[in-house]
Amino acid sequence: MLAYLVFFACIVLILGVLTLALNLQWGFTGLFNAGVVGFYAIGAYTHAIVTAAPQPQYVGNFGLPWPVGVLAAMAATALAGWLIGLVTIRLRGDYLAIATFGVAVSIQLVALNWEPLTGGPQGLTRISRPLAQLFETPFGFNLWFLGLMIAIMAAIYWALDRVLMSPWGRVLKAIREDETAAVALGKSARRFRLEAFVLGSTLMGLAGALYVSFIGFVSPYDFLPIVTFQIWAMLIVGGSGNNRGALLGALVIWAIWAGSGVLVTKLVPPSHAAQGGAIQVILIGLLLMLVLLFRPRGLIGEAAVVSRHVND
Amino acid sequence: MERRRRNTVVFALVLMGSVLSAGSAAAQSCPVKIGGVLPLTGSMAPITKKIAQSAELAIEHVNQGGGIKGCPVQFILRDDQGQPTVGVDAAKYLVEVERVPAFTGTISSGVTGPIISSVTAPSKVVQITCCSTASPFTLDGRSGGYFFRTIPTSKTQAFATASETARRGMKKTVVIYINTDFGTDMLRFYKAAVAKLGGEVIAEVPYNDNQPSYRAEVTKALAAKPESLLLIGFPKDGVTIVREWLSLGGTKTIALNNSMRTMDFVNGVGAKFIEDVFGMDNAQVAGPHVDAFNTAFEEKFKTDTKGPGVHTQYDALMVMALAMNIAKDLTGPSIKDAVRRVHVSNGTPVGTGPAEYKKALELIKAGKPIKYFGATGPIEFDANGDVTGPALVWKVKDGQIVTDRIITIEEMQALFKRVEN
Repeated sequence: MLAYLVFFACIVLILGVLTLALNLQWGFTGLFNAGVVGFYAIGAYTHAIVTAAPQPQYVGNFGLPWPVGVLAAMAATALAGWLIGLVTIRLRGDYLAIATFGVAVSIQLVALNWEPLTGGPQGLTRISRPLAQLFETPFGFNLWFLGLMIAIMAAIYWALDRVLMSPWGRVLKAIREDETAAVALGKSARRFRLEAFVLGSTLMGLAGALYVSFIGFVSPYDFLPIVTFQIWAMLIVGGSGNNRGALLGALVIWAIWAGSGVLVTKLVPPSHAAQGGAIQVILIGLLLMLVLLFRPRGLIGEAAVVSRHVND
Repeated sequence: MERRRRNTVVFALVLMGSVLSAGSAAAQSCPVKIGGVLPLTGSMAPITKKIAQSAELAIEHVNQGGGIKGCPVQFILRDDQGQPTVGVDAAKYLVEVERVPAFTGTISSGVTGPIISSVTAPSKVVQITCCSTASPFTLDGRSGGYFFRTIPTSKTQAFATASETARRGMKKTVVIYINTDFGTDMLRFYKAAVAKLGGEVIAEVPYNDNQPSYRAEVTKALAAKPESLLLIGFPKDGVTIVREWLSLGGTKTIALNNSMRTMDFVNGVGAKFIEDVFGMDNAQVAGPHVDAFNTAFEEKFKTDTKGPGVHTQYDALMVMALAMNIAKDLTGPSIKDAVRRVHVSNGTPVGTGPAEYKKALELIKAGKPIKYFGATGPIEFDANGDVTGPALVWKVKDGQIVTDRIITIEEMQALFKRVEN
């Protein structure tokens, strides 16, 4: 049981990094990024290509150490985020969503088709896992990975908190609330939006690197659009504009997703196990609707911020 | 504000609690648990229904025939939704919480791959799949020998296809294939075989699934002026591609892969348009062991056993149950070794169904070797954990799918020698 919970927690924390990144883009800046999975994929594949054990049929697979892979993943995603941001960031709302969605689908298809680099549909395996050789049991490794994830999460959370409290973070919120007003105050909305987009994308790339180094395998099927939907569900259910909400959302949605499957195997008699899958999907949809009906702003909504000068 | 926060925490705790309590009933000697991971929902769901029923039937037969080591078997089936993260989570849950020493699954190779690398191999549990055919899973050592499959890989089917296209004298073939590991494997092995057996591939056109139209791919394929078509894909896209192919004036000489052997495909295209096509599938070797399975399945579910994975899933679970009886204890490493002892060359033949299973248990108890003939024929794993099997050629006649001829195991073995040496 404990071994499963540790595994479960690792996945939740990886998804949590994605949700925090989306929260920076959507929750604080109002950027409708519908291509989360694309940046996640770039990070994942960069890490895999940089660290996987060399194989003659692939041009990548450099077998470099884990930290190099993680840094390379973040750098590659930052670069991709910047390039994609340059051309799309001026698009508002739904238009940005369509553009980023298209980008994400394209990235998945590139991964599927660029066989010498990505392994194509066969995927890449033997990807570097941090210090894996020190652990004899999978439980030992997962426990160590969980510790690592908690440390990384704490660092990201703290850094985001600082950044969002800073004048830079306040400009993001100002742009989200009223872009015209922010521009009238002399802020370059385009620059701030681009910065938030790149920073968020970089974090998504980090999540991708962490995911493949945890699972040890990457294939294009890891990056279907459903993942973007799940991350959005996590952010909306948890509470957009609130980092604690984003993390709670990641936990709750993944618990619903995995837990409903367990529930179905417990409640549905074995003779109807084949129908259990449909019941699980209905259950997931129902729980999502209930949360949104009773807590329309998410489980923890955005905290109201009042200027400390208001009583001056 | 404070109350709201408390509610939230309570909500999260309740959720965690329900997950926790659900698993705490694990780790008992009786019943013996076997896990299953299959895409019950998602894009594979239409073909998974019969596969899940076949699994259910296998478990029923095992229980009627005496269970495993004197215990009844409990089958815990989880849905992977065709999504890797969901499938990995389900497998991890089965292994760590339900403590299954062996499980069956899954269909999509994109889900099977991460399960092997992050659950099966590190946790040393046995995984037997009915359906994942990606060639590297058994070849590059990533599974540590814990991964088996009862379905002949795409190599068997590709070689058989090549021998049939050569026999029919198909020339100037264009291959339209689904761009998945299955499709690329099939193409690679088909080309290798054609080079030895005769025929030529003049163009290769990959396609991505679930598109509303494949006009671009079909046009590209026709531009090569082919005299025949080999289509490798799945029924839903296959219907669209073949209809567009024929309406744009493509030849009626078409070869198809196993997945198209369903009435959905035949009716989708229109039977009268595809009288000249032929397809491949893994053969259901004739014999009492096959009939027993077919009859039992048809009686229980009031439907036929046609369709991918139906027979191989039954064998996956029967092999697992027999191996668990042979193994000295119910741990992954013991079961892994025992899997290779369900079909011993000097063993007493045993077939499908509860009575035969019971017979096998008696032989095992007496310390005698057994030789399992399953719903797909003799199940003998090679060093990698793969089976080779006979193939069948099917065609469409009077609106029905009929078997044209069988390529026997002996013919297949000869074919492998011819192509690979």
